[in-house]
Amino acid sequence: MKTEDLKNSKEYKYGFTTDIENIRAPKGLNEETIKFISNIKKEPKWMLDWRLKAYNRLKVLKEPDWQKPKYPKINYQDLYYYSAPKSSSEKPKSLDDIDPKILETYKKLGIPLDEQKRLNGIAVDAVFDSVSVATTFKDELTKKGIIFCSISEAIQKHPDLVKKYLGSVIPLSDHYFATLNSAVFTDGSFVYIPPNTRCPMELSTYFRINASETGQFERTLIIADKGSYVSYLEGCTAPMRDENQLHAANVELIALDDAEIKYSTVQNWYPGDENGRGGIYNFVTKRGACRGKNSKISWTQVETGSAITWKYPSCILQGDNSVGEFYSIAITNNHQKADTGTKMIHLGKNTKSKIISKGISAGKADNMYRGLVQIKNKASNSRNYTQCDSLLMGNKCGAHTIPYIKNNNSTSTIEHEATTTKINEEQLYYCNQRGLDQEEAVSLIVNGFCKEVLQQLPMEFAVEAQKLVAISLEGSVG
Amino acid sequence: MLNIKNLEAKVDNKHILNGLNLDIKPGEVHAIMGPNGSGKSTLANVLSGKNGYETKGEIKYNGENLSELSTEERAQKGIFLAFQYPLEIPGVNTNVFLRTSLNSVRKARGEKELDTLNFLKIVKEKSSELGIDEKFLSRQLNVGFSGGEKKKNEILQMKILQPKLSILDETDSGLDIDALRIVADGVNSYKNKENAFLIITHYQRLLDYIKPDFIHVLSKGKIVKTGNADLGVELEKTGYANFI
Amino acid sequence: MKNFYDFKVDNIIGLSSKEKEFRNKELDLFDKNGFPNKREEAWKFTDLNTILSKNFTNITNDYISLKEKKFELIKEFDHNYLFVLDGKLVSNEFKFEDKNKVSIKEYDYEKQTFVRNQNSLNLLNNALASGGYSLEISKNYKFRKPLVVYNHFSESIKEQIISYKNSLILNENSEIKILNYTDTNSKNNFFVNSFDCFKLKKDSSLKNIFINKNRCNCYFHNYQKSDLEHNTTLDNYILSTGLKFNKMDIEINLNEEHAKSSVFSALSLSSDEHQEIKSSLNHNSKNCQSYQKIKNVLNDQSRGVYQGKIFVKQEAQKTDAYQLSKALLLNDNAEFDAKPELEIYADDVKCSHGSTSGSIDLDSIHYLKSRGIPEKKAYQMLINGFLSEILEKLPEDNLKKFLIEKLGR
Repeated sequence: MKTEDLKNSKEYKYGFTTDIENIRAPKGLNEETIKFISNIKKEPKWMLDWRLKAYNRLKVLKEPDWQKPKYPKINYQDLYYYSAPKSSSEKPKSLDDIDPKILETYKKLGIPLDEQKRLNGIAVDAVFDSVSVATTFKDELTKKGIIFCSISEAIQKHPDLVKKYLGSVIPLSDHYFATLNSAVFTDGSFVYIPPNTRCPMELSTYFRINASETGQFERTLIIADKGSYVSYLEGCTAPMRDENQLHAANVELIALDDAEIKYSTVQNWYPGDENGRGGIYNFVTKRGACRGKNSKISWTQVETGSAITWKYPSCILQGDNSVGEFYSIAITNNHQKADTGTKMIHLGKNTKSKIISKGISAGKADNMYRGLVQIKNKASNSRNYTQCDSLLMGNKCGAHTIPYIKNNNSTSTIEHEATTTKINEEQLYYCNQRGLDQEEAVSLIVNGFCKEVLQQLPMEFAVEAQKLVAISLEGSVG
Repeated sequence: MLNIKNLEAKVDNKHILNGLNLDIKPGEVHAIMGPNGSGKSTLANVLSGKNGYETKGEIKYNGENLSELSTEERAQKGIFLAFQYPLEIPGVNTNVFLRTSLNSVRKARGEKELDTLNFLKIVKEKSSELGIDEKFLSRQLNVGFSGGEKKKNEILQMKILQPKLSILDETDSGLDIDALRIVADGVNSYKNKENAFLIITHYQRLLDYIKPDFIHVLSKGKIVKTGNADLGVELEKTGYANFI
Repeated sequence: MKNFYDFKVDNIIGLSSKEKEFRNKELDLFDKNGFPNKREEAWKFTDLNTILSKNFTNITNDYISLKEKKFELIKEFDHNYLFVLDGKLVSNEFKFEDKNKVSIKEYDYEKQTFVRNQNSLNLLNNALASGGYSLEISKNYKFRKPLVVYNHFSESIKEQIISYKNSLILNENSEIKILNYTDTNSKNNFFVNSFDCFKLKKDSSLKNIFINKNRCNCYFHNYQKSDLEHNTTLDNYILSTGLKFNKMDIEINLNEEHAKSSVFSALSLSSDEHQEIKSSLNHNSKNCQSYQKIKNVLNDQSRGVYQGKIFVKQEAQKTDAYQLSKALLLNDNAEFDAKPELEIYADDVKCSHGSTSGSIDLDSIHYLKSRGIPEKKAYQMLINGFLSEILEKLPEDNLKKFLIEKLGR
């Protein structure tokens, strides 16, 4: 990337706000709020009951406190749990019904919702604050029997599928934030791929937090039926605000026999300013179940935004011969903090998992890999390979690696490797000598460091992610 | 000495050997040639008794049913396999390994186990024949050995254990000309009326040094052509295509 | 839940009122949570409370040590010795050394060192410890022969906890090798909770080896706190096997430049043995080195745990820290758990860790068998080979020979 580009992008370029009228639930977390959400979405009674059950459970749960990044106590009564652009209080039937301001917003973000202009064939579900505002390429997908819609729509139109799978990977009372999400989730995406179907295009959700003082709680549910394949992408941005905003999403993936789900995230929520003011608290629960034999779930994440990132996309390898993968880049700069990693739970025979984690820490930031690999005693001939590399840039940041490894099977193998180093001076010098300036050189070397993960991303995202890696580290090398 | 009748072998439900027949008499040198994937290494592994193969058919070794014997019993009865990829075994000293191995074989033959002194005498003699530095024997087994060193170590083991049937699985691969000559000399010096060799190879190269009595062409798990040493030269010129 | 233990500070004789007050406070703190369970990070993989409650009905601290008894000296190599019976120093002999250069006393609890941290057994030790020794070595004195500490436990101990603290000070440029030799063949269940405090002054060197003579039915927990000054070396070798439960919690503070430390362990566990090593290598100053290599062979229902941490402070530039744990699982009822942890705040460092666990390599077994080596022997060779890398690192030929033979039992 050119120096001018870097200079122009010094600021968080997605920090603008869209001035738009909202419908909001009254502030506060209580039964009324939950009923308000359920009501405005015209949900059936079973859904409301499910939410209330979660809410009752939440009352006895405590917020976890074992994580490394500490944050000031969140006043859950001082948040809005539902905020939607007024213009889309009725789900728009077509793009013509969408508020032009929202269309403009997504255009600015580089996510045109206009199908004609979209040549590279990615179907997008756009979530603006709490609701899904548009889903593209719907017709084409419907022809193949693929369901790609907002979760609200799925609750109305495909209640059997939702009832069967919602909460089947992340139980209702799993932990505080997951349970909070179950009680108050507002929207998100739903994907169902029928048996023996290969989804013909990338599916994508684009999340945008716009409103202030609002928590965002999406819920994503992806089911890949026998022998199917889907690749799903997720992108996130938010405006610059002084306050911290809470984002507590739940993502559940289910892969049946011989099915494969590839889930990629480029997370670029507002990270706060260089003094650590503002930014998103990104407390997300992502979990996939390889339920069928020979199934595969692969998580790829590029985490560059958020004040605090706290998530562990995990795989439960139940089916024999199933495969779980986790590829991660987490970059923290200034006062950002990340505590991320994965869990690979091997239950079935011949299950395999692979973890590649690259943590980069600059400024005064803290970056932590935390993970669990567990091979239970029935999971014979299983394998895990884990590699965690950390790169420190500067002397005020921290890098931590805490893997938990449990092997209970004599025919299974777990391999873990981790290194922590600083950026290689020789490499920098070599690049400088070939005429690259410091920032270009750093960008080049860091992208090299991250290569194994970046190459897992679909083309369109990979380019974006590479730029993001460079931008996130600006000003971190003297 | 070795009589194979209608041998079939499967691994992970894939058929590799499909009715292979082969007879080897004492004093004979047989070479098996064939393209990649024809089943050459599988044959070597089945003869040495490696786990993981499902077999049918008959393998008789000096009249005894081979499939009933464990790998170590076969070794003790004189079947030796020089591995294509000799394993690196960290923490196990090469000398200790050689001695344990030789004494196990001797014990099975009803001979007395050797004490350190006598053992070292034998090792010294055999390793100098192969131009192997003694220091090399105090290192961990095959750990950090070059490709050539590993192969030489295999031939050293053969000469120490004195097997009746030696199977060389692509022992020539990865050897430079000098190492190839040393390995070949090692084999030739061990050849006599009682011993037999089964040499598995891709190329004629090794057979320029070790003259085989028979050459078999293996394709799709079967021997499709048998001839004398001239067959190898012909193969070198024309390739396998004419035979498969 | 009914408690399976009953500890009283009053059971300890001869305490000053100040001491009593301190100890009662520590005991109160301990009693709040009782024996550790998995909620304590230092015990992440082990619920000690459950283990003890299943194996003890009522643990007390009212054991009164017996009078001196005879013990068997190791004949295989020349050594000095301390004889410690049930945690109390009974006799000593330094016949190979210059006696003016060695000071040996009973541990002085008026000047005791104590820690309160993530591991609550330290609170219990602070409350109940008695006995133990203080050893100090003079400046520039290098031990000619190793020191063996015979830790003997009487057969009359049953359902009791034995707690003590030891202290070792190595003055400038001094050197010693210590073999901690636990000797008991008691069939009874008891718990030993000990605390070692090592101070290594400039240029000194300590090699510290742990091994036990027999299999036994007891539960051991040892906390080691070491402070290292400039250019010191501390090497720990943990070879103890055959114990029902053993946890070594090792805290090593590399406080000044060029301090070096290593932790080596070769363990071969069987039946229901449980061995745990927890280490914290704290790099508090620049240019220090640490090296850890842990190897476990796990048979039957045994369990091996390794929680190793490398901590690098912001000023500890040019740190070189390495950590590796390897386990061979020979049975599906055996388990290996590891938590290799890095916490790093300095950028110009070389830090890495690795951990592998899995089965014995069957191709290697086949290779050995194809040379006529019987299967059982082939396994044994590979297992010995796996552990030998650690044993090779042991110091002193005679001592090394003794230990290798001992482990071959």
